[in-house]
Amino acid sequence: MNLAPLNVALVGVLGLLGIGMYGLLMTRNLIKTVIVLQILVKAAVLALVMAGSAAGQIHLGQSLALTVIVADTIVAVVGLALAIQVRRRCGTLDVQALATLRR
Amino acid sequence: MNELTPLAAFWLIAIPLISTPLIYLAGRLQVSLAAGTGMGGGRKLVTANGQVVVATTSATPRTPAPDVARWLGLMALAATWAPFIGATRDLIANGPAKFGLESIALRFDGLSLLLALLALGLGTLVMLFSGQGVSGAAGTEKYYTLLVAMVGLMIGLACAGDIFNLWIWFEGMAVASYLLVGFHHEEPAALEASVKYLVQSAAGSVLVLLSIALILAQTGTLNLEEIRNTAHTTPGLLAAGALLMMGFGVKGALVPLHTWLPDAHAQAPSGISAMLSGVVVMAGIIAILRSLAALAGVTPSWGSLLIGFGVLNIAFGNLMALRQTQVKRLLAYSTLSHIGYILLGVGIGVAYGQPAGTQGGLFHMLTHGVMKGLAFLAAGAFLYGLQPLFESDRGKLTQRSDAAHASPLLISDLAGAAQRYPLVAFTLSLALLGLGGLPPLAGFMSKWQIFVAGFATQNPVVGGLVIFAALNSVLSLAYYMPLVNMLYRQAPSKLVEHGRAIPLTMLLPLGLLAVTIVAIGIWPGLVYWLIEPAGRVLLASFGG
Repeated sequence: MNLAPLNVALVGVLGLLGIGMYGLLMTRNLIKTVIVLQILVKAAVLALVMAGSAAGQIHLGQSLALTVIVADTIVAVVGLALAIQVRRRCGTLDVQALATLRR
Repeated sequence: MNELTPLAAFWLIAIPLISTPLIYLAGRLQVSLAAGTGMGGGRKLVTANGQVVVATTSATPRTPAPDVARWLGLMALAATWAPFIGATRDLIANGPAKFGLESIALRFDGLSLLLALLALGLGTLVMLFSGQGVSGAAGTEKYYTLLVAMVGLMIGLACAGDIFNLWIWFEGMAVASYLLVGFHHEEPAALEASVKYLVQSAAGSVLVLLSIALILAQTGTLNLEEIRNTAHTTPGLLAAGALLMMGFGVKGALVPLHTWLPDAHAQAPSGISAMLSGVVVMAGIIAILRSLAALAGVTPSWGSLLIGFGVLNIAFGNLMALRQTQVKRLLAYSTLSHIGYILLGVGIGVAYGQPAGTQGGLFHMLTHGVMKGLAFLAAGAFLYGLQPLFESDRGKLTQRSDAAHASPLLISDLAGAAQRYPLVAFTLSLALLGLGGLPPLAGFMSKWQIFVAGFATQNPVVGGLVIFAALNSVLSLAYYMPLVNMLYRQAPSKLVEHGRAIPLTMLLPLGLLAVTIVAIGIWPGLVYWLIEPAGRVLLASFGG
């Protein structure tokens, strides 16, 4: 019984990871890619909080989670900024259309 | 005296990070002042807000004033050398020092010293080199700011004493490098490289975070040393180690995870290519080693795994480099193979408890940083010299600006370049021959030490792999030599004949790096004080 909330969280982590991985493989739109990366990070954030609580250090887990959210927002901002530039230069957000560097 | 070490090491990280916003503000101020006092018009106002990218059509009048951000950046990096020397002196006198801010555990030891020296040394030279290379492009102040920030964050990464800290420093450094790779954002190819790098790297960092969560759940601590003391074989920690290897492996460009590297190296401004190849990728390797060392008690096979990845990297990097036609892509793939040599050396050291192995691997990390830094900077100098002549081909994409856009520099473009650019051609050849491992140069010494360590294990499999690596080293000459041949033995092409002169600030870093290569090659004992403690710390952290 004690573990029940943790199990729920574990399902959450795995679910988010699954959605994220699927999205990362399937999506071709740059903005959607950024969103998908955020979903993946949210899985990691949940995992960190869960790990903190499993280790009996919920404060540590939560502060890690907060830090990760902040750090990853920066990555999202940079990703979206790149998306804007791509849209401006290439007229599309399709990742496939962008791919010219081969070999 | 013990008080001094943390202080010096603290300022070593703090000076670049504190000066970062100042450099940016000063740079912005200069831009907006120039826009305000300059020739009026609506366009300037928009530029002052920092919103507008250099327009593609009209000839934007550029400010000829000296670049404040660049000089401030140079000063910041120069100032960082003072605490660096202090910290080094104390490290030699008193051994590794622990310091920290509140609960942030930092540790300055031999491995930190090696990475800090690489980051600071190469960073300073790149800053010096970048003057003319990027001037004229939009937002140069951002370039210099990010470069200083990257150096500071990398030194922080080198000192990180807990695994979450390691991730934070890494993420910061990665953000700076995404932006720098995409610096020429008017070029779709640079954008593509930046997007690729960002997506792969971000996915990798999620894996690292998951691994951190696993480690926290299993051991209840994040401090690398405490993890080392409590970790034992459990499925959770094995999975954590695998996730770490995959996550940091993206940034360290282990072979199946390397696909961002050639694009990013080829499309970034040349100074940044040098930083990426010489330091950023190596920071990834250091992060892998540091975090795996904490899990050393989980399984004894980390060393063998490193050897495996090393051999894969050597073979794949060499085979791909053979078929490249662009200079910077060739150098990028050669980076892959050199990562392989480093991993091979370190892996031999860790798996068989050979101090010579870890020292050889880290020695190669140092020499590779110097040689590849020189090679990319020399390629950048050629790009700068020949740049205006590419414009006719690339037509409407850009106006004739001084910006060294990341247009491909083909090997054939350099035909006979030694006659027009004797010094650059000479330094590039030195770097290439050093990378190929010819005897009087630095690359030979470090590869030799790795091979000697491999044979010292007296293990037939390792011996075979070392022979394979040595043969690959010979094979690598098959792509370095044609380039040298092209520089010296061909008649100068039209492109080269009309190239513009290369300024002294570009030649100076090239000369310094070239002298270093020859000096280390002739007298490898010169860097023993640096390599020996680093190798010892690494081996000790794996419990060897």
